Amino acid sequence: MTQPGTVRVCPLADLPRGEALRVDEVDPPIAVFHTDDGEVFAIDDTCTHQDASLSEGWLEGCAVECPLHASTFDLRTGEVDAPPAKVGVRAHRAEVVDGEIVVTLSTEPPRLPPGVLRGPVGR
Amino acid sequence: MTSTQLPESLIATLPGRYYTDPGLFALEQATIFERMWFCAARGSDVPRPGSFRTVQVGAESVIVSRNRRGEIRAFLNVCRHRGARICSDGEGSVGRAFQCMYHAWTYDLDGKLVAAPNLTRMPDIDRTEYGLRAVHVREWLGYVWVSLADEPPSFEDTVLQEVVNRLGEVANLDHYEVDTLSVGRRIVYDVRANWKLIVENFMECYHCATIHPELTEVLPEFADGYAAQYYVNHGAAFGADVEGFTVDGSAGLDPIPTLADDQDRKYYAITIKPQVFVNMVPDHVIVHRMYPMAVDRTVVECDWLYLPSVVESGKDVSKSVELFHRVNQQDFEACERCQPAMSSRLYRDGGVLVPSEHHIGAFHEWLRAAIGE
Ligand code: FES
Ligand code: FES
Ligand SMILES: [Fe+2]
Repeated sequence: MTQPGTVRVCPLADLPRGEALRVDEVDPPIAVFHTDDGEVFAIDDTCTHQDASLSEGWLEGCAVECPLHASTFDLRTGEVDAPPAKVGVRAHRAEVVDGEIVVTLSTEPPRLPPGVLRGPVGR
Repeated sequence: MTSTQLPESLIATLPGRYYTDPGLFALEQATIFERMWFCAARGSDVPRPGSFRTVQVGAESVIVSRNRRGEIRAFLNVCRHRGARICSDGEGSVGRAFQCMYHAWTYDLDGKLVAAPNLTRMPDIDRTEYGLRAVHVREWLGYVWVSLADEPPSFEDTVLQEVVNRLGEVANLDHYEVDTLSVGRRIVYDVRANWKLIVENFMECYHCATIHPELTEVLPEFADGYAAQYYVNHGAAFGADVEGFTVDGSAGLDPIPTLADDQDRKYYAITIKPQVFVNMVPDHVIVHRMYPMAVDRTVVECDWLYLPSVVESGKDVSKSVELFHRVNQQDFEACERCQPAMSSRLYRDGGVLVPSEHHIGAFHEWLRAAIGE
């Protein structure tokens, strides 16, 4: 981290288009996406329905489908389209600075599913 | 041994138990079908990412599918958690991932474990190690071939070598551009016979004049009992008044334009051990795949392949299909007539092969070596 609330993720070149990355150095972990159109987004990695990693979901356009029960989250806003997940995830600000992906974390409280504890539990 | 007393014209077949013993069939599953290259499905059977087919290969159920990039993938159809079948249907589409119906372990289209309830709290579970177990795949003739071996045999030395043995060189099959043809008709036969009876039947033509009147009409030389598979690169010539490879000898469909001159008005046949038969005529190619299901049961899936323009235009292929469909029915009826007798005391030491069938002896030698008997 360079300054509080800011995460230097990796060089853009290390994350090909169409792929995603889970960053678990921050808590709760975030998911960073490089879309097919070349845009970069960051949202909370943990689905709000159950403990599933959105970075492993199906990335299409500006949305990712949760790998476990297929609720889809908008990468720009974090909003969810349809149950079983009922609330959206936080969206963070992602930008490319000098060829590097930098994420500024949202200051809202995270919306984690029941039973998912913060911190290094079970690791 | 009976064989020592056989007259010179005859050689022995395999003993009856080779066709009836479930233990021997299990040995064949393990040493032949789960080790060699096995033709599992036509590529067009799984047209899109997430489309799948399940097929029985030896004792295993195998999923044939396509990943997100459209590349062919094949997996053992077993959940890595507690073993539930992943795909229970013979064909369909899973959409974007394979999800087990039991505890929702979820695998992406490359087989990687991508989600499961509480998976992020088990970071020591390697997603690839606990992914679906992939099997080797190879695409050839527009078909998906799989090998369940850890180290598959060389495709060139096995599958392609069968083509060389039969046709002299693979180029003689390449002329048909089989991978570019379209399926005009598929018929699936559920045959109550051991798979080897079907192979042996396909290899000889001693029976042709007796049970295949239509085929012998189109290919008169079959009346002498020597099959196209007795010689190297021998095509059986169409009869002088025959226009095409159809049930009544009427004209066929548009010929495949890339054939060599000596492939015109000829019929060729290849057996690719252990479970594929290919027939080539100027306007179509017929590909049979056997799926041995039990010691006394074999499912045979047969495709009639034509130029895509023929299939797209909706031209009537029924007279063309009918010829070999009848041949199949006639052959499988004969195989089913043999199966019950394989357990007779009279067949304990097997039967005999006449000279026009002696090349089947090589198949029996190959089989004994493959199963280590
Ligand atoms: S865990 Fe994401 S929708 Fe259920
Ligand atoms: S058996 Fe498949 S998830 Fe439990
Ligand atoms: Fe026959």
